[in-house]
Amino acid sequence: MNEPIRTENLTKNFNGFRALDNLSIAVRKNSFMGFLGPNGAGKTTTIKILTDLLSPSSGSAYINGIDISEDPKKALTDLGTVVETPEFYPYLTPKETLAYLGELHGMGDEDLRRRTKEVLEIVKMSEWADKRVGKFSKGMKQRIAIAQAILHEPSVIILDEPTSGLDPRGMYEVREILTELKKEDYTILMSSHLLNEVQQVCDDVALINRGQLLKIGSVEEMIASANVRRLDVRTLTETTESQLKEISQFKGVSDLESFGSRDFSLSLEGADETQADLLTGLQNMGLRLVHFKENGVTLENLYMSLIKDSR
Amino acid sequence: MIEINETITKTDRKSPYVAPSDLSQIGIVMKYDILKYLRSSRLIGFVAIEALVLLLITAIPPLLGNSYADNADEFINTYASFAGILIIIGATLFAGDAIVSEFQNRTGYLLFPKPVKRCTLLAGKFLASTGAMFLMLFLYYGVALGLGLLITGRFSILGVESLLLAMMYATAAISVGFLISSVMKGTTGAQILTFALFLFIFTIITGVLTVSGMEPWFIVSYSGGTISYITQDPYPISGTAIGGTEGFAPGGIEMTNYYPEIGVAIAVMLAYAVISLVLAYYFFNRRQMSA
Ligand SMILES: Nc1ncnc2c1ncn2[C@@H]1O[C@H](COP(=O)(O)OP(=O)(O)OP(=O)(O)O)[C@@H](O)[C@H]1O
Ligand SMILES: [Mg+2]
Repeated sequence: MNEPIRTENLTKNFNGFRALDNLSIAVRKNSFMGFLGPNGAGKTTTIKILTDLLSPSSGSAYINGIDISEDPKKALTDLGTVVETPEFYPYLTPKETLAYLGELHGMGDEDLRRRTKEVLEIVKMSEWADKRVGKFSKGMKQRIAIAQAILHEPSVIILDEPTSGLDPRGMYEVREILTELKKEDYTILMSSHLLNEVQQVCDDVALINRGQLLKIGSVEEMIASANVRRLDVRTLTETTESQLKEISQFKGVSDLESFGSRDFSLSLEGADETQADLLTGLQNMGLRLVHFKENGVTLENLYMSLIKDSR
Repeated sequence: MIEINETITKTDRKSPYVAPSDLSQIGIVMKYDILKYLRSSRLIGFVAIEALVLLLITAIPPLLGNSYADNADEFINTYASFAGILIIIGATLFAGDAIVSEFQNRTGYLLFPKPVKRCTLLAGKFLASTGAMFLMLFLYYGVALGLGLLITGRFSILGVESLLLAMMYATAAISVGFLISSVMKGTTGAQILTFALFLFIFTIITGVLTVSGMEPWFIVSYSGGTISYITQDPYPISGTAIGGTEGFAPGGIEMTNYYPEIGVAIAVMLAYAVISLVLAYYFFNRRQMSA
């Protein structure tokens, strides 16, 4: 009941098409939830309702326990958000845009000046502070969008594919920002298609398809319940065919694939103990390991199987 | 003790800022909308149009060898008769896309999730539009009245009354522009419709009604006619005239010339302003960011 972000039996119809179907999700206080689902699943629709851009056909959405349809002004006070890639007023500069939005939040001159400087530094847009947004690239606008979302230090943040349109470095930087936010006491809901990103930064995930909730829970538990992990291994010297064959006989190992002479990856069924046994086994074979690592697509496998089941 | 305190502040942290009252937010919205007008050179463009109109009206009579009217009210009449078209251009520039642009240009994704009510946004934008328009009218009438004083040696009080009527007509036109802006899908369409409505559609309806012998008192552009009629002394009154050449032609069509009554015109302009704005709010408030 006290979750900062919550939807209750949210349903949204677009001219007879049901985009959301009795969706109930809740994001725990100070946690980071990844919001997953295939294209058209209803992620943006949910987020738009949570940010007062759409009104639900039925059901309710709450921020900090306040019903958004009932008292939007109050509900939105403590919220920062990036929905899709927003556009900016082309004739205003980032500084002026932030001042406009910050003033609407009740920020005074002093705080505005300080926070504007801080957030533009965080999104690495300081040198553009006084240029008009009109000619900015998509990624630059996305950075300003992130800056305005955290400007007023909200405790609740809702992001719709925040890294979309960013270059690889931009994505990395946003991930850094998100990791920073996570260390502080923010409650975050973020939709994303980048599962390794979600696996890295999120505590919990909610997976939806066709407007319905498929699964919700902690990333760790889901990965544990998946019971299969994919491991990347690199050896110092060449691994021979016969050695690879021997490895594929180990307990729980399947789908062994080698790349070049020193790299291979494999799926391992079982828990941490099986993984530890495998490591010992490889070393006992005389292999000198450079790295031995879960490659973060575990969530992807789980995602695929859940989506397939719901088709 | 300290530890307990810390846990409380940590878990209950909220944004330290509280959204200001609706009234102060109206001021904020207005301020930045005017800044947008300034930056987009709409205001400057409008000033240029006004300068051109003033220049043409003032420069053409001497070029044709005609002298200016020596009565201050008559002098201002020519200027007043062009105020209507300036107002239509102003409504198109300042109101036609005011609401729809937030949707079509996707800036609403930024603005609507802010703790600000739709009626606050509407009020702020409306005040910015009317403010910009009034400023333009002050400038236009200021120059015209100044020229009148300079050339005729007398200040036209009727010219000031004309300005007041122009402000009312402008308010009505901007409200209608906001209504169009709150229902239309695209900015260009909204602006064209605003412009066409006042320039042709209302005029055509007025013409058709007049020919059919019915006074078009309820058409706001007809009421806007008072802006120039007020500078005529005495104020013209409706009456029957014979069509054709001053009634000499035999068998000429009999038709009535209608002139809007001031009181009725003011009431109609106010009604347009209020009703359109209320409707604009109704549609804007229900409108969703779906595209
Ligand atoms: N305004 C609208 N009118 C009609 N249908 C809509 C509208 N907005 C969304 N939909 C439909 O609702 C469904 C959910 O869309 P939504 O944008 O929420 O998906 P999503 O999960 O965000 O997808 P993506 O990963 O592609 O961003 C889609 O089938 C979409 O076609
Ligand atoms: Mg989406």
